[in-house]
Amino acid sequence: MIWAKEETLPRAEMDAIQLERLKETAVYIYERVEPYRRKMDEAGVKPEDIKTLQDLGKMPFTYKTDFRENYPDGLFAVDKKEIVRYHASSGTTGKPTVVGYTAQDLDMWMNNVARIACMGGATSEDVAQISFGYGTFTGALGLHGGLEKIGASVIPMSSGNSNKQKMFLQDMGVTLLVATPSYALHLGEILREQGVDPSKDLKVHIGLFGGEGMTEPMRDEMHKVWGEQFVCTQNYGMSELCGPGVSGECTELCGMHINEDWFIPEIIDPETEEVLPPGSAGELVITCLGKEALPLIRYRTGDLTRLMYEPCKCGRTTVRMENLSGRADDMLVIRGVNVFPSQIEEVLFKIDEIGPHYEILVERQNRLDVMTITVELIDDRLLDSYSKLSKLEQNIKGALKSQLGLATHIRLVAPNSLQRFEGKAKRVTDLRKDGL
Amino acid sequence: MIKQLSVFVENKPGSLMQVTSALTDAHINIRAIASFDTPEFGILRMVVDKPAEAKAYLTGKGFVVRIHDVIGVELKDEKGNLNRMLSILAEGAININYIYSFVIRENRAPVMVFNTDDYEKAAKVLEEANVKIAEETDL
Repeated sequence: MIWAKEETLPRAEMDAIQLERLKETAVYIYERVEPYRRKMDEAGVKPEDIKTLQDLGKMPFTYKTDFRENYPDGLFAVDKKEIVRYHASSGTTGKPTVVGYTAQDLDMWMNNVARIACMGGATSEDVAQISFGYGTFTGALGLHGGLEKIGASVIPMSSGNSNKQKMFLQDMGVTLLVATPSYALHLGEILREQGVDPSKDLKVHIGLFGGEGMTEPMRDEMHKVWGEQFVCTQNYGMSELCGPGVSGECTELCGMHINEDWFIPEIIDPETEEVLPPGSAGELVITCLGKEALPLIRYRTGDLTRLMYEPCKCGRTTVRMENLSGRADDMLVIRGVNVFPSQIEEVLFKIDEIGPHYEILVERQNRLDVMTITVELIDDRLLDSYSKLSKLEQNIKGALKSQLGLATHIRLVAPNSLQRFEGKAKRVTDLRKDGL
Repeated sequence: MIKQLSVFVENKPGSLMQVTSALTDAHINIRAIASFDTPEFGILRMVVDKPAEAKAYLTGKGFVVRIHDVIGVELKDEKGNLNRMLSILAEGAININYIYSFVIRENRAPVMVFNTDDYEKAAKVLEEANVKIAEETDL
């Protein structure tokens, strides 16, 4: 099922909608968001300079750092009392990236997620188990609301606790699973170990995956674990743009359809910031249309992809983005959580007993991401007792947990054990190949 | 009253050898040594003949090294003597964090090394019970 007629418009009609909304957005943001108005003034652009869609290229970019510099709500275009919901995601340092929604924004967001759910085959008949972590992240409540919108029955399970996951999957006749693809694989394997064959013993036949990319080898594994009948699609979004609902795969599995009437995509060269011609690979830049609380123009997502404008067999005419091929920056996605090495560094630098050098190792164990951070011990006073050393390890873990919202492994090593770098340090080793 | 050297070591092949090899190069004599099974990293405890020199040398080689006071007790090599010393400490309600013994003593009385948080009290109860506490010069 196709949720909205805007998904099937001829290109000329879509262009007309985008242009009208872009003009409105340019006026709106210039009037209401002071930091962006300054950027436009510095670039010498006025809202009335936007006459065609190509004129978008005249507008300045918005960066993740703009959120930090205007923390918590300096980029908001409405008064606090208009906000009905806040969410937050990782910032590049200690402060999170805070986003807000008006009632109308929430409605638009839920409609966009409803489209994504329909693309993945969901209907009002489905019983959906949301196995994303709830909390300030947008994933769980985003899919939750979008699935309710189409009339599906939603179970707000949250992540972890596989015994409870299993019980609800079995007892409630769950037909649709929302999770990160790696957690879905992990859960499926646990079910099999416990003698449950998901393809025979459960009714789950749809997976809506997000929070991290799903590679084709992961999709193949998903069929082995959950059965051939399992239709698994992935969708894309980020809290700055709204959360999930920016784009999603349809069951043709040939790229993620972008909800173009609300999001204008561009592909740029991340180094030169030059807009690249259609079909080129580069960094995805998104302009949000019609958002009240947090209008964003030319947001640098940091995600590398390619756009495909040919209409799809599913009947949708919206542009598709390829599976992400990487990041333009050093952001890591760990268990669906965005992690910047700078966040880790900030925590480590505050701990006196360890030195300034560190290494981050990311690998996948039992389908789940495991991050090990190696640091050098420099304070000999901790050698008085093993418990002091052990306490240091716990302190580092605790500080990282509160900063990142993730459990980490800490390896303490002797001073000068870690490699020293001249110039740009290579501190991250990511051993996850094809996500497996 | 004797000095103990504690060295941070990772739990991996060769890490103890790196310490002993450095001490050999520095002409330091190891008199007692102990390490315990800990998961990812450990602390190697040693009594050596020149603790300050050993620390300086090891630190220069990149090790994290700590010197602290421990109690060494000379025991007659007779049945029940270790038990007697431990009874004295138990009666004094002194908790022992760890204990180990000297490597070679060339016909001299064995020395037990132990660590406690109640250092002064431990020394007091042992002295009161006429247990001989080893000094650096006795070793």
